[in-house]
Amino acid sequence: MTTISPARATITPPPAPAAPRRRLTDILAPYAYIAPFFAIFAVFGLIPLLFTFYVALFDWNPIGDHVFIGWDNFTRLFGDVRFWNAVRNTISIWFLSNVPQLAFALLLAHLLNHVRLRFAVFFRMSMLVPYITSVAATAIVFSQIFDRDYGLLNWLIGLFGFEHIDFVQSVWGSHVLIAVMVTWRWTGYTTLLYLASLQAVPRGIYEAAAVDGAGTWRQFLHITIPSLRPVIVFTIVTSTIYGLQIFTEPLLVSRTTLNTCGAVRQCQTLTLFLYEQGFGQFEFGYASAIGVALFLMVVVFAGINFYLSTRIRPGRP
Amino acid sequence: MVAAVGSALAVLAMSGCSGSSGGTPSESAAGKSFEFWSFTGINQKADVAKYKEKRPDVEVKLTEVGGATETAQALTTALAGGKVPDLVLIQGDNLPKFVQQPQNFVDLRTLGADKMKSDYLDWVISQSVAKDGSIIGIPTDVGGMAVAYRTDLFKEAGLPTDRDEVSKLWPTWDAFIETGKKYTAATGKAFIDNAGTGIFYQAVNQVSQKYYDPAGNPVYDKNPEVKAAFDLGLKAVAAKITARQASFSDAWSAGIKKGDFAVIAAPSWMLGQLKDNAPDTKGKWDLAKIPGGAGNWGGSYLAIPKRAKNPKAAWEYISSTQSPQGQLQHFTEAGSLPTTPSVYKDPKLTSVKEPFFNDAPIGTIYTDSLLGLKPFLIGPDSAVMGQEFLNAITNVEQGKGDPAKAWDAALTAIRTAIGG
Repeated sequence: MTTISPARATITPPPAPAAPRRRLTDILAPYAYIAPFFAIFAVFGLIPLLFTFYVALFDWNPIGDHVFIGWDNFTRLFGDVRFWNAVRNTISIWFLSNVPQLAFALLLAHLLNHVRLRFAVFFRMSMLVPYITSVAATAIVFSQIFDRDYGLLNWLIGLFGFEHIDFVQSVWGSHVLIAVMVTWRWTGYTTLLYLASLQAVPRGIYEAAAVDGAGTWRQFLHITIPSLRPVIVFTIVTSTIYGLQIFTEPLLVSRTTLNTCGAVRQCQTLTLFLYEQGFGQFEFGYASAIGVALFLMVVVFAGINFYLSTRIRPGRP
Repeated sequence: MVAAVGSALAVLAMSGCSGSSGGTPSESAAGKSFEFWSFTGINQKADVAKYKEKRPDVEVKLTEVGGATETAQALTTALAGGKVPDLVLIQGDNLPKFVQQPQNFVDLRTLGADKMKSDYLDWVISQSVAKDGSIIGIPTDVGGMAVAYRTDLFKEAGLPTDRDEVSKLWPTWDAFIETGKKYTAATGKAFIDNAGTGIFYQAVNQVSQKYYDPAGNPVYDKNPEVKAAFDLGLKAVAAKITARQASFSDAWSAGIKKGDFAVIAAPSWMLGQLKDNAPDTKGKWDLAKIPGGAGNWGGSYLAIPKRAKNPKAAWEYISSTQSPQGQLQHFTEAGSLPTTPSVYKDPKLTSVKEPFFNDAPIGTIYTDSLLGLKPFLIGPDSAVMGQEFLNAITNVEQGKGDPAKAWDAALTAIRTAIGG
């Protein structure tokens, strides 16, 4: 008995008023730490988003009248050939840039992770160079390479006696040109994400596979891809979100027809169309409706991608 | 109605007085500094520097926002709720959208613009007069038209090189295209940079009525003059005399440097662009008359936003630099054509020769093109309509579009764009 009571005494004494205070701060502390993000998100993300939904219901002239017109902007949008053209272009460019980008990044990450690679750090660091190059500089260089009359690529093609290709003016050509720029810019970045994840895979697995006679290709299929599953899902979802909002590259590719990206809008993406309506025509209501449509598209696409890419399972590359 | 006009005049008279007494000590603090948004390529720096020589006590904060369209976009955003400049330069094509919402700008009549109004070309100043009669902008320059051509390349092709003889080669656009065919046949090279801006934009700026009738109704689809200009563009494409280079693109600049085309439509503001783009071609160029003789492409206006903090300082700048003498001086230094016809016969203007263009008398060439002009109304969607027509021609030029369907394609595109 006597031994218990002092023990109890040591448990019960905590000063009564201090306990709830400490607990309250304990409860509040994490919220305080994350609050800046959510406050900034609310100011720069959520409120503009909700405001966009609101503006989409108006015929909204930024320097004139704001007339409530309900769903008219959306009705008009669905009947607008320019909108569907922009949707097609956006998806086409997204597909052309993302598939090679993720495939190259996987291969590169696998090779860079190779045990016997010399100067590995140099190669790994150089992966980031395209990413830190400004998009404008990239666009200027690639536009010059792909130019119809004075481009390097067409000069090479010409040496073999072929006719010059007009990349910017054709639908597929302009899409390929933009996709090449996006792929060039993002492949290294994605590679490093994969590489970082691969570093966590125990070397022993690769060594055991090598001992069992698996070549680098089999190792790639059966070790690299399955172990990268979570990060592949992550990159697919993020690159989908980025890809559907692509703006700068198409804007810069066709600098003379600024907002339409070509005579027949052959590379006008959704964001470019939004920009044309909002800041070219000052139709903020209509532009907001495009923004809402784009938002929904990104949500749906990211969802589909997430669902499909979580199907990648070990042994089923 | 009469009463309304009368009271407006009374207000004007009063505010006109207060405007001229802006130098009183109590007001001078606000009048010593103002913020000015301009666009690149028009050399407002030179104007501002000149103004500072005259008024060293005034501080001008000049910002070159970007191209003309970017500046108009920035202005829109500013007017919608941001910080506005005290003075802003607006390009003619972007002006109608602002004229439609005059409540965003200081009615310059209240500062004395009525007294200056008659100094300017009637049809130019009338573009900045809103429906309620307020004047929101003072025109700084207009884009008189001419054709720049390469004398060395003309010589190689066996064409005359003297500017009067060259002008005689193309009294009409049809004759111009015929000359182009001769040039291309002789040299195997393109004659003009492109059919859209090179021919269609020029011809469509020479009409008596463009995309709107004088009452402000859109007539872009019914106006035979527009159709004729469009067909001229297509005709030039069919004649295969164009280099298919979009104006102001990188490849276009490269083409100018390399002499890949021999002529280029050159409104007065283009001269600076040519000089900057291809300094090595100095002296190889000359200027001939535009086919059809007269026309205007471009021009800009100075306006003061309603919420400006220092409207008086801004107005003093406008009235000083945009007086006929001020515009004349700007022309001799920077080449922008005055909007004030009283100086068109001034020896200071007629004697200006441009060495880059083989000493062509630019003062007379460009003013001649303006004096014969038939003014037309520029409406809120004029810029969009022009762009869609241009796109349709370019699409044919690039070998993608069917020339027989181009006109209908352009009309469909315009209807979609203007939502009508």
